[in-house]
Amino acid sequence: MADSLAYFLMSWTDLSLLTLTAVGTFAGIYIGAIPGLSVTMAVSILISFTFAWDVNDALALMVGVFCGGVYGGSRTAILLNIPGAPSAVATSFDGYPLAQQGEAGQAIGLSTVMSVIGGLLGVLVLASTAPVLSEFALQFAPRDYFLIAVLGLLLVGSLAAESLSRGIFAASLGAVIGLVGMDPVTAEGRFTMGSMQLLGGIHYVVVMIGLFGVAEAFFQLHQLNVKPVRQNVEKIIPSLNLVLKFLPLSIRTSIIGVIVGALPGTGGDIASLFAYDHAKRSVKNPSKPFGKGAYEGLVAPESANNAAVGGAFVPMLTLGMPGDAVTAVMIGALVIHGLNPGPMLMVTTPHIFWFVVGALVLANIFLLIFGLMGIKLFAKVVELPKAILIPLILVLCVVGSYSLNNSMTEVYWMLGFGIAGYFLKIFGFQMGPIILGVILGPLMDNSYRQAMASVGDSLPAFLTELITNPLSIVLTIAIVLLLLSNFPLKRMIRGSKNAS
Amino acid sequence: MSKHTKLQPGERVFNILLLLFSLGVLYEAYRISGPGFESISSPGAFPVGLGLILIASMIVIIAGQFRKPKPDTKGALDEARQFLQLHFPLPIVVFSAMAIGYLLLLEPLGFVIATLLFLFVSMVYLRHGRFVSSAIIAAVAIAIIYALFKLLFQVYLP
Amino acid sequence: MMKNILATLVVSTGTLALAASAFADYPERNIEGIIQWGAGGATDNVARSLTPHVEEALGTSIVLTNRPGGTGVIGMNTVLTKPANGYTVLYGAENPQLYPIMGLADFTYDDMTPINVIGQGLVVIAAPADKEWANFGDLLDEAQANPGTLRMGGTGAGGLPSTVLAMINSVDELDVRNVTFGGDGPGITAMLGGHIDFMPLSLAAAQEHIASGRLKGLAILTKESIEELPDVPPITESLPQIESYLPWGPFWAVAVREDTPNDIVKTLSDAYEQGVANEQFQQFLSENGAQSLNLQGEEAEQFLNRWQSVTAWALEKAGSAKVSPEEVGIPKP
Repeated sequence: MADSLAYFLMSWTDLSLLTLTAVGTFAGIYIGAIPGLSVTMAVSILISFTFAWDVNDALALMVGVFCGGVYGGSRTAILLNIPGAPSAVATSFDGYPLAQQGEAGQAIGLSTVMSVIGGLLGVLVLASTAPVLSEFALQFAPRDYFLIAVLGLLLVGSLAAESLSRGIFAASLGAVIGLVGMDPVTAEGRFTMGSMQLLGGIHYVVVMIGLFGVAEAFFQLHQLNVKPVRQNVEKIIPSLNLVLKFLPLSIRTSIIGVIVGALPGTGGDIASLFAYDHAKRSVKNPSKPFGKGAYEGLVAPESANNAAVGGAFVPMLTLGMPGDAVTAVMIGALVIHGLNPGPMLMVTTPHIFWFVVGALVLANIFLLIFGLMGIKLFAKVVELPKAILIPLILVLCVVGSYSLNNSMTEVYWMLGFGIAGYFLKIFGFQMGPIILGVILGPLMDNSYRQAMASVGDSLPAFLTELITNPLSIVLTIAIVLLLLSNFPLKRMIRGSKNAS
Repeated sequence: MSKHTKLQPGERVFNILLLLFSLGVLYEAYRISGPGFESISSPGAFPVGLGLILIASMIVIIAGQFRKPKPDTKGALDEARQFLQLHFPLPIVVFSAMAIGYLLLLEPLGFVIATLLFLFVSMVYLRHGRFVSSAIIAAVAIAIIYALFKLLFQVYLP
Repeated sequence: MMKNILATLVVSTGTLALAASAFADYPERNIEGIIQWGAGGATDNVARSLTPHVEEALGTSIVLTNRPGGTGVIGMNTVLTKPANGYTVLYGAENPQLYPIMGLADFTYDDMTPINVIGQGLVVIAAPADKEWANFGDLLDEAQANPGTLRMGGTGAGGLPSTVLAMINSVDELDVRNVTFGGDGPGITAMLGGHIDFMPLSLAAAQEHIASGRLKGLAILTKESIEELPDVPPITESLPQIESYLPWGPFWAVAVREDTPNDIVKTLSDAYEQGVANEQFQQFLSENGAQSLNLQGEEAEQFLNRWQSVTAWALEKAGSAKVSPEEVGIPKP
């Protein structure tokens, strides 16, 4: 126990480790904020960079970048409606309207505090229940991942504000985009129309940058002569009362985040969408209507995606299995430093576990400091004249999509999605469901086929499993309940009557 | 987006186009596993399902059109004109053209020059002049982007 | 007139710049390393442990990206579509040698210039620890008593598990359900949860889990048992007929596009030779039960060709080859 505490505090007491965590967190915020620069990319660059270092130094830096990066995605989502990372998509739903109303500063302040609360809760769960949670995560069979994907796709109901049929169309369209490329089982092309370029699929960040960044830039050209809203930069740090008011929601969505994060195969992107949906269902009187600048719509996804960081470390530290793309790269880092990340890691090198937990807590503290610093300056970005801002947004989108694969193909796709998104937006299709489809489509296809193959392609056997396995029963019931609340016949009829 | 009580100009044409697109998706999905399915977990199963959902939801959307009043347009030509006027005013057309030009020039000219040119020209256009300040902003922006991406994060730029 | 002069000037400076860049010392910027399998798998681990040593020898950074999917076709295709200038290298496994006969793609390592064949791994057939099978023979018995009911974890057509399955089927009968995962990592996760019954895995990926007692090794694809896992019997104990294919195992290689200039290939080959020879990396290989090969040039090509012909004809015999090796010009071993 004393040993654990010593390792926990190691990064706090050693000046160089302290500095590295701080530098990592700071850099992470800006890496995360720029669409196209991903935490995964940054951490894999760091592997080569920190190769000769001590393993603790390397880990401190990586943990910092990870925490900062997940939070950073919310910056551009709030200020420009361009989520810096897929896990910040849900943040833009209410964050951007807030910025439009002159509350960008308050939105960033609140999202920072809630990210830190979510992050710390995630670490708490990691530290207290990691072995139990990872055993729980292992229980998820392919069919359960399929059910999670279905559950996720039902979020369309709350993401598509006005017309359900449009939301369903948009989500399916997203799923089709997500499936483009080579089939992972039989390796034949799907929706590739014979093009070798398309075999590799369309990167979902490209879709995101196009639909949100570029389409939004085009839309804002309509308001060239509208004077930008003056930002209120008073009282940026949320009051204790406000924090306490949202604390229950933050705790609930953090739990969603940490569980979804701990499942290998799902991460912060899905967690934040689930959390947003949860907020929309459970909060009866939001500060403003959802989608128009509700604080609750900001609290939920930000708590969840940062809690997912702690979750992602659960399978990594207990089993040596990655919880997401970033922890996968970190496993590589441990291997290179001569450690054997596997189920024995906790037994043979328990200090790594406590060191990571300590560094995560420290990184969250730095997140609070750096996140609240310079908000006034950032809020002013929204005050820039559109005529200057829009060309800059486009350049940022180009750099972001180019750097994904270092090729122009992604840039053209990005512009294509931008133009398509502009048309879809004109006619009342929402962007959120499309991204939902892009993220969940492949998960659903994969897990469906794994589940089917497991039962020998027998539909009756598949359905039987859904109602006999305890975990699957719970998920199935959740789906049924959601369906009943989402698609009552009354609304279906009314929805098609004035589908808009 | 606010609720539209009336159909927008061009909405019917757009929805028909989306329906055609959905039919295309279904056709492509059907082709994946060839005619007939080997099994219910074949590569084409899920895509075919998606194609059907796309078509079904589009049919519901199009059916909804008939319950709404038509846009205030006089004939197809007028509708096209109104659509363009509403959604493609001159600045958007010119800016889109500049954006496409920028992408085309990106590789031949290199990132720095092409971006500088694009930022300068588009800002001058959108701000109706103000050459000097546009040039300064473009130069500062490119310096920051270059320093951040190329030097700090070692990202390749075109 | 003025225009002409200007044009000439522009063209000649352009040419100069181009010529200068061609003579510039390679490597003058970061190199992109494309890993054809997902993060956390064996190929990924090998690539990430090797690369820092190569970077040291090369004096530049190699930025690694995972491009998994389609049994590695996507990653390899990515490299083949990049310019042949040595700035994109492929970290691949054994799969490309089987693409033509599996009908996956019409390219193999023959369409690339091998830089280094890093090493060869061993294969272990693993199962969750709570299975009652003591060895591979027990599994075969159960599979033959209930054909088509056991769930095997796979990594897609042409992946290691399906190749091993085909080799077994060429000498015996093993009828199973093939559940496809994105790589070793997700497959092991599913096996730890008991969602699949067994999976042929590279020793590198399975070793830690067998050592911890969460998984058990049913057989190792060798003629004799090995030092790392002394309790796991060699497969020849339960299936002696398979001996003719052994030694067999997955390998890892680094390759660049075929028309890459010779001096660049030379620079890269030297750097990778040094990298693989590095003591720390050698230790990594042996800890993970892999044999170091460190082959370049001719030797590397010979190794690749032999592996291809042995495996391809075994698949043909098992009836698993979609296209006969004869048709695509793979000689008999």
